[in-house]
Amino acid sequence: MGLLVTTGVAVLLGVAARNEPLDAEILTTAVNGGASFGLPFLAVFMAIIGIFACGHEYRHGTIQPTLTSLPQRSRLILAKLIVVTVTTVVVTALSMAINTAVVYIVWGEAPGLFEDPIGTALAGYAIYTLIYVLVGFGLGLLFRGVPSALVVIFLMPLIIESIIMGLAFIPALDWLVPVVKFLPFTAGSRLMEIVPPDFGPGSPDFDLFSRWTSGGIFALFAAVILTTAWILFKKRDA
Amino acid sequence: MITAKGLYKRYRKTVAVDHLSFDVRPGVVTGFLGPNGSGKSTTMRLMLGLDHGEGETLFDGKQFGTIRRPMNEVGALLEAKPFHPTRSARNHLRMLAAGNRIADKRVDEVMEFVGLGDVRRKKPKGYSLGMAQRLGLAQALLGDPQTLLLDEPTNGLDPHGIHWMRDVLKTLASEGRTIFVSSHLLSEMQLMADELVVIGRGTMIFNGDVDTFVREFTQSQVVVRGPETAGLTEALKAEGAEVVSEDDALVVSGLEIGKVGHVAFTVGAELHELSTRRASLEEAFMSATGSSEEFVAKEPVRAAEPATAAAEGEAL
Ligand SMILES: Nc1ncnc2c1ncn2[C@@H]1O[C@H](COP(=O)(O)OP(=O)(O)OP(=O)(O)O)[C@@H](O)[C@H]1O
Ligand SMILES: [Mg+2]
Repeated sequence: MGLLVTTGVAVLLGVAARNEPLDAEILTTAVNGGASFGLPFLAVFMAIIGIFACGHEYRHGTIQPTLTSLPQRSRLILAKLIVVTVTTVVVTALSMAINTAVVYIVWGEAPGLFEDPIGTALAGYAIYTLIYVLVGFGLGLLFRGVPSALVVIFLMPLIIESIIMGLAFIPALDWLVPVVKFLPFTAGSRLMEIVPPDFGPGSPDFDLFSRWTSGGIFALFAAVILTTAWILFKKRDA
Repeated sequence: MITAKGLYKRYRKTVAVDHLSFDVRPGVVTGFLGPNGSGKSTTMRLMLGLDHGEGETLFDGKQFGTIRRPMNEVGALLEAKPFHPTRSARNHLRMLAAGNRIADKRVDEVMEFVGLGDVRRKKPKGYSLGMAQRLGLAQALLGDPQTLLLDEPTNGLDPHGIHWMRDVLKTLASEGRTIFVSSHLLSEMQLMADELVVIGRGTMIFNGDVDTFVREFTQSQVVVRGPETAGLTEALKAEGAEVVSEDDALVVSGLEIGKVGHVAFTVGAELHELSTRRASLEEAFMSATGSSEEFVAKEPVRAAEPATAAAEGEAL
């Protein structure tokens, strides 16, 4: 089933992703135990693979031969989803293992690796990466193309959500304050925090959810995108 | 055996396929004809479940979407030939083969068969139109399927390729397979197809065998040649026939050959030739799919011209 799933280019990128983000990871690992605020490199690279899994098929029209060789659409999506998920989990685990090894080599120790703040944040980081990739997969399938999905997955967290958050600081727009905790990517990034975010003095009380509730919101967002994409894929013309 | 029932597809305002029902029998080549935009490609995509519309198509009793390893049962060559940009032709086929449990050996076999053996490790992006078409056929044949659905397979092929394609399809049909093939090369179709499905604007015009189609949509003409035909022309016209002189012969339509002979006998005209000219599939097609009033027999000369022009074009 490997064939149906990641395209040749995606595999190439996977190889690249496996090597490249490590540098960045090494740094972040050294600094804060494997997670960074904003978008983790690994998540971004893996999300590109997720987007390519379906988007690439549409970009080059290969979805047509794919569907004539495997017409059960749900089976096709499931197969792709499984491969993307497994790849993400394996690559994430691998990258974390390598980073840990590097930390040991450089510092000779990794204090508190499996204990509360760092251990949970690392687990959260792995979960965040997976959900982020699944969002990418859903977007690729939804938009049936690479570029638009890429734009959304980067613009959403980096620009749109930051703007909403920024606007919430303006007193006149304080009705935005309760919205902030539901912003999916912002909520998701709480998964990998070590300390709760500090928005500075005078910032409104966002009343953010706990780590796992926030993660749940992010997961729900991914589920909605995936389900919509899946249902549409079953109904649309190839 | 393909059974299509009530196929229907609408794109916003245009009805591309309007309640088409037909059967495609095994053992013969069935041609699928229709003018540009009449809905042939859409019909084929509907049959394969690539487009969603109404109706149902059964391949030997099964819907395409329920066949577990479809390449082994139904081979399809569609209008668009999309290929992955970085994958070699051979890998493209290997990918598809893997999903259908087809051995790699078979991939090399079909590539050799369609004449792409030497370029199988090249990327299909660099293939010419005809080469891509051959690769598409290789893909359709990969699983050695019982049923083949081909959308303009001769498109882009050179004369040898067209000839070869005809032989391949006839051979496959004679092995008892079901072959459904659309094409605009009517002279080719005439040599290859036994049965026809002809559509126009998404609706069925004709479904039956080729000879019936030609007979139904054209009037046969009688060719008369002789040293002195002026009197005969008058007599034939008096009988209600339409007579046109073509070089040194008369082409008579609207009268049977026996009647023409009788008229010649009664006026005492000397004849050097008295024969029926069978209309070509092309003429029948023109008359069947042109606006319903325009029957070919009314303008035999004009209708015959494009036929010869097309024949010359193909011979190049
Ligand atoms: N994706 C689409 N969106 C809108 N209309 C479409 C689409 N695909 C086909 N059509 C319309 O459906 C009709 C049938 O098109 P189709 O491609 O099936 O014709 P065809 O018989 O294969 O023509 P040709 O001989 O040129 O290959 C046309 O009127 C076309 O404009
Ligand atoms: Mg077509």
